[in-house]
Amino acid sequence: MPRDSQTERRGAHDPIIEVRNASVTYDLEYRDAMVLDDVSIDLRRGEILGVVGESGSGKSMLANAMMDAVEEPGITTGEIRYYPERGSEPVNILDLSDEELRSLRWEEISMVFQGALSSFNPTMTVRGHFEETLDAHDYDVEEGMERARELLEDLYLDPDRVLDSYSHELSGGMSQRALIALSLVLEPQVLLMDEPTAALDLLMQRSILSLLDDIKEKYNLSILFITHDLPLVSGLADRLAILYAFELAEVGPSEQVVRNSQHPYTRALLRAVPSLDAPLETMRPIPGSAPNPANTPNGCHYAPRCPLATDECHEETPPWFDTADDQRTACFNHDDAGDAVPLELEVVES
Amino acid sequence: MSYVLKRLGRSFLTIFVVVSASFGLIRLLPGGPLDYLRAQMIQQGGSDLSTAEINRRIAAQTNIAVDEPVYVQYIDYMTAIFRGDFGQSIWYDQSVAGVIGPAIPWTVFLTATALFLAFTVGVSLGAFMAYKEGSTFDVGSTGVGLVLNSTPGYVVALLFIAFLGYRLQLFPTGGRYASELTPGLNVPFLASVLYHGTLPILSMAIVAFGGWALSMRGNSIRVLGEDYLRVARLRGLPTRRIALRYVARNAILPMYTGLMIAIGTVFGGAVIIENIFAYPGIGFYLIQAINARDSPLMMGAFILITVAMVIGITVADLTYGWLDPRAKGGASRESY
Ligand code: SF4
Repeated sequence: MPRDSQTERRGAHDPIIEVRNASVTYDLEYRDAMVLDDVSIDLRRGEILGVVGESGSGKSMLANAMMDAVEEPGITTGEIRYYPERGSEPVNILDLSDEELRSLRWEEISMVFQGALSSFNPTMTVRGHFEETLDAHDYDVEEGMERARELLEDLYLDPDRVLDSYSHELSGGMSQRALIALSLVLEPQVLLMDEPTAALDLLMQRSILSLLDDIKEKYNLSILFITHDLPLVSGLADRLAILYAFELAEVGPSEQVVRNSQHPYTRALLRAVPSLDAPLETMRPIPGSAPNPANTPNGCHYAPRCPLATDECHEETPPWFDTADDQRTACFNHDDAGDAVPLELEVVES
Repeated sequence: MSYVLKRLGRSFLTIFVVVSASFGLIRLLPGGPLDYLRAQMIQQGGSDLSTAEINRRIAAQTNIAVDEPVYVQYIDYMTAIFRGDFGQSIWYDQSVAGVIGPAIPWTVFLTATALFLAFTVGVSLGAFMAYKEGSTFDVGSTGVGLVLNSTPGYVVALLFIAFLGYRLQLFPTGGRYASELTPGLNVPFLASVLYHGTLPILSMAIVAFGGWALSMRGNSIRVLGEDYLRVARLRGLPTRRIALRYVARNAILPMYTGLMIAIGTVFGGAVIIENIFAYPGIGFYLIQAINARDSPLMMGAFILITVAMVIGITVADLTYGWLDPRAKGGASRESY
């Protein structure tokens, strides 16, 4: 049953992509498996939206759904609306023909994958990837290659060297940056990044993240940044969306979500990750394990692991509560979450 | 560059060792070809021939001067072989080069055509099987491919010659072309060559294509699951480019070495088939030589077949790095 399609209200904010009641299901023989369950969220023009979830929480599905790229036999339902310009007529991405999709992808909405090394054809130079992409979309190749060189330079790469290399000749950090440049070569408006730094060391993660901010400004991008690493993205993202077991738990401005989350899961997540500010002894694993897609709980998906769960939680899906300015939380007991799951972080700082 | 030199050096060494071994076989085996030759001549010529005369004739036929010290014989033999002089055939009363030389194109015609057929059919079939992975067609073809791949070529050849040759008389049972025709670029001759070549070529191709198809199928399925293929589709590349530049290229690449080795067998790949179909190629003469104890001819054919193999493998090694950038020798580029 669709819930709260109206939660993300238009108006003050200028969405570039609206996701409404998006679900992704796999029709398994005995039972449907739902890997994204009725998610509604906006990507606003010019923002970086961090989507945080454990592996298998459906966060990659959300990104794939946004460019209708969920692989067969997955079925995407709901609505994905793309607004090329402020206030323009929306494009319904899930209704596009194959040819329309082909030109939407990479030209308007582009994607960076984790594992850059395996994203390149091993028997083709990096230059070949840029050229064939420009060619396939009928762009001027010479002009496009100029742009590619500039992009590579913006990412602190030596264009000549990188373009003439094969992916195996580049380090992980270099090929990941080359992949970012490749995703931007057709000047898209939206960049979906799926764990783009997961395979890199901490230093390289930080340096790519800091580059991302500059790139975003220079090329007027709106970025969806998917990660399992809450502290990594909280400094970068304007807003955070927390996914748990295929559905959204909480959405809000980064500062607020980190400092003042109203959702037991977000708070548990904040306690479970190591952070430079919090002492190691305060880390707490979340007891229990995430549900599998063919067998999700009826009510709140977090109920089996939640210390605040009541009977209501087990039976009904919690609606959205506006818990602070621009922050919404899907939890019946959001008022008690703060006391029940204290963040040592706050104690240390106060 | 030094890799190329080293690799060429190693191949040359291999050939050198093979030729030396052939000298050893002829010269050193007790009751070997030299004793046989001598006995034959004494029998034929009786006492009219002096020992010196017999030795001279043996030297002319085998490149081995029997009354010289072994190292001189060896040096003479090696220089002669590397000059292209394989000695005289005993059975055919011609130079070995004169017997084998004209046979080469015929053998190459058979083996190269069979290889080309097997490879193209196998690769296309394998790609299609991968595309239809799990379908009845895929499962059926995999079974047929496996059975054919484990059938020896001579079984197929014998079946062909028995049924299509003798029983139904649809195809000739021997020869390279109908004897009444004049060789040259005329249609009846070329048609006759194809007609005579059909069964030998098919017997070789039929047992080989299954192997190519199965490799191609496996490689293609692997490539189809690669991340870069998904990224290529999302980038909106045309299907044709994805099929050729992504799937085909990366799936065929691992088969390249196998293909070069197969090309190395063009001289020696049809020994049994040529004999079944009485097709005078290198393999046919090799068996003739063995039966007739014609050791110069035998060794000539043997050396030729080995050299072709060594060349095939060398070419595969030297060109692989050019085809697969990942195999380029050493760390020519820094990475950090
Ligand atoms: S709705 Fe209930 S089970 Fe779900 S997070 Fe809130 S308190 Fe826990």
